[in-house]
Amino acid sequence: MADFQFDNNQLPAILRKILTNLKTTIVVIIVVIALFGIFFQIGPEEVGVITQLGKYSRTVESGLNFKLPFIETVYKVPVERQQKLEFGYRTISSGVQSRYSKSGYQDESLMLTGDLNLADVEWVVQYRIDNPYNYLFKVRNPENTLRDISEAAMRQIVGDRTVNEVLTVGRTEIAGKLKELVQELCREYSLGVKVDQVVLQDVTPPDPVKAAFNAVNEAQQEKETLINQAKSEYNKVIPKASGQAKETIQKAEGYATARVNNAQGEATRFNALYAEYIKAPEVTRRRLYLETMSQVLPELGQKIITDQDGNAVLPLLQMQLNRSENTIKNNPNE
Amino acid sequence: MNRNITILITIIIIAAIIVISQTVFIVNETEQVVVTQFGKPVGNAVTEPGIQFKAPFIQKTNYFEKRYLEWDGDPNQVPTKDKKFIFVDTYARWQITDPLQFFKRLTNERGAQSRLDDILDGETRDFIASHLLEETVRTSNRTPLSSGSISEILEDTLVQIQVGRKKIQNMIQEAANKEAMDLGIAILDVRFKRINYVEDVRTQVYERMKSERFRIADKFRSEGQGEASRINGEKERELNTIQSEAFREAEEIKGKADAMAASIYADAYDQSLNSRELYSFLKSMETFQKTFDKETYIILSTDSELYKYLKNIK
Repeated sequence: MADFQFDNNQLPAILRKILTNLKTTIVVIIVVIALFGIFFQIGPEEVGVITQLGKYSRTVESGLNFKLPFIETVYKVPVERQQKLEFGYRTISSGVQSRYSKSGYQDESLMLTGDLNLADVEWVVQYRIDNPYNYLFKVRNPENTLRDISEAAMRQIVGDRTVNEVLTVGRTEIAGKLKELVQELCREYSLGVKVDQVVLQDVTPPDPVKAAFNAVNEAQQEKETLINQAKSEYNKVIPKASGQAKETIQKAEGYATARVNNAQGEATRFNALYAEYIKAPEVTRRRLYLETMSQVLPELGQKIITDQDGNAVLPLLQMQLNRSENTIKNNPNE
Repeated sequence: MNRNITILITIIIIAAIIVISQTVFIVNETEQVVVTQFGKPVGNAVTEPGIQFKAPFIQKTNYFEKRYLEWDGDPNQVPTKDKKFIFVDTYARWQITDPLQFFKRLTNERGAQSRLDDILDGETRDFIASHLLEETVRTSNRTPLSSGSISEILEDTLVQIQVGRKKIQNMIQEAANKEAMDLGIAILDVRFKRINYVEDVRTQVYERMKSERFRIADKFRSEGQGEASRINGEKERELNTIQSEAFREAEEIKGKADAMAASIYADAYDQSLNSRELYSFLKSMETFQKTFDKETYIILSTDSELYKYLKNIK
């Protein structure tokens, strides 16, 4: 007691004042608590659902609101916030370069297709709470329920499609159908949730068969390459051959023109000569003969002129000729 | 005296608070309550939310969920009718519809979950085992969209089904509800969350998928080679056509020209005996000019036209 008295003396003035007016202090504290119980704030993306003694009473909009203390409870529900559920992967950290984790979620994404093949489908469901009353009071664990609904619905839809459809042409159609089906089930379950969008992420064949799927793509490329090569070879040869064919024909036409012109020329020359020749055939012929001879003879190597009776020398000449031929043969340098 | 009155009032207030807290109870929107007296249920279950009353001390409140509840089955390994081993992972939504009955038969939620395990796992197993795998995977008999050349090669079609996933799910739900009829619960929906092959079968399926893809790849390659050969053949044919047609045309042109030249020559040379004579004479002369050269030996007689004047001038 003595210690307390001593301490009391040491306490700051304000605390001493509070201690002396203990009753007032308690009242003030109770009033403050009551005020905190009365007033509450609802954020811009939320609504507040108020129950009175456990029973739903009203829904209030964002801003400053009040309720009866102690007997009314407020539940804040983010109705404007878009939330998402990821299947087959999880975003570890989002940002400019989001990081994702896929390991451990294969069971979520691996599913049977209608032709009893397997496909790896990753998707995301974006939703908002559009009925806070249902969301809070109709279903326990609404988020988990939505997860179950989405998985079952996705498998139902993929189960009605072939693996090729799922991997290629069916993507957008599947996303649309899934949104419809999930929304329908949400209504059925009174989940109070509106599905905004379903986006299909990676839709791939399962890892062990990926190589085989790639082989198909490669083969498709190879096919195109082979065809292109053949076409290019075709294009290299055929236009060239067409050009060459035209050349051949042009040349033939050139030949034809030359041939006819030559013939006409020669014929005209002949006719001109003939016109003169006919006037004095004997003389002309002789003249032509002698002209030719005087032209030709100087060009010749050996010229032997014999008498009419000198035919006997012919064998001799023959021998001489043979000899000179032999010498030429033996000494080609000479 | 005054002090005693204060104490008395305090005691009365405390007693009143205790009695009120024993009499009044609050039921939330998500709850329903069964009131029991010495362990025995009294009256109807309270399902309306708000403030409620009961006899103090001797009556007790038992709270139950009013919301839709989850049931998530363990993945079961089940053989289908066509002896394919698959894992089936089901989920269900259920609700306590008759809390009184529920309280009597199952006591609490844990008891209910374990009963649901028995009922739903059993029914799932039965219905999966009596249907083909296709029936549990497929829902409708729709025609698949064509994905172009690949699906043509595969002859992409879906087998016709008789029952389908939706109906099997409904049948399981119906059968389970029949069993759960006196438990005070209702099963609202049963669905297959995941169906997958067991490990061994999965490997086989992967092998099948691989072989299917390799088949497509081979087809593509062979198509490519075939098409290339066709183009090559076409090239050869066109090449031959072009070249031979050009040759034919050229020969025709040349032939016509030759014929024309021949007729021109004939017209000129074949006019009369004299012209024929002149022609052969000219040709001979021409031939002399062309054929005689330095290597040629010529023996001319003085009798010849050329040298006849060598002997005498006459």
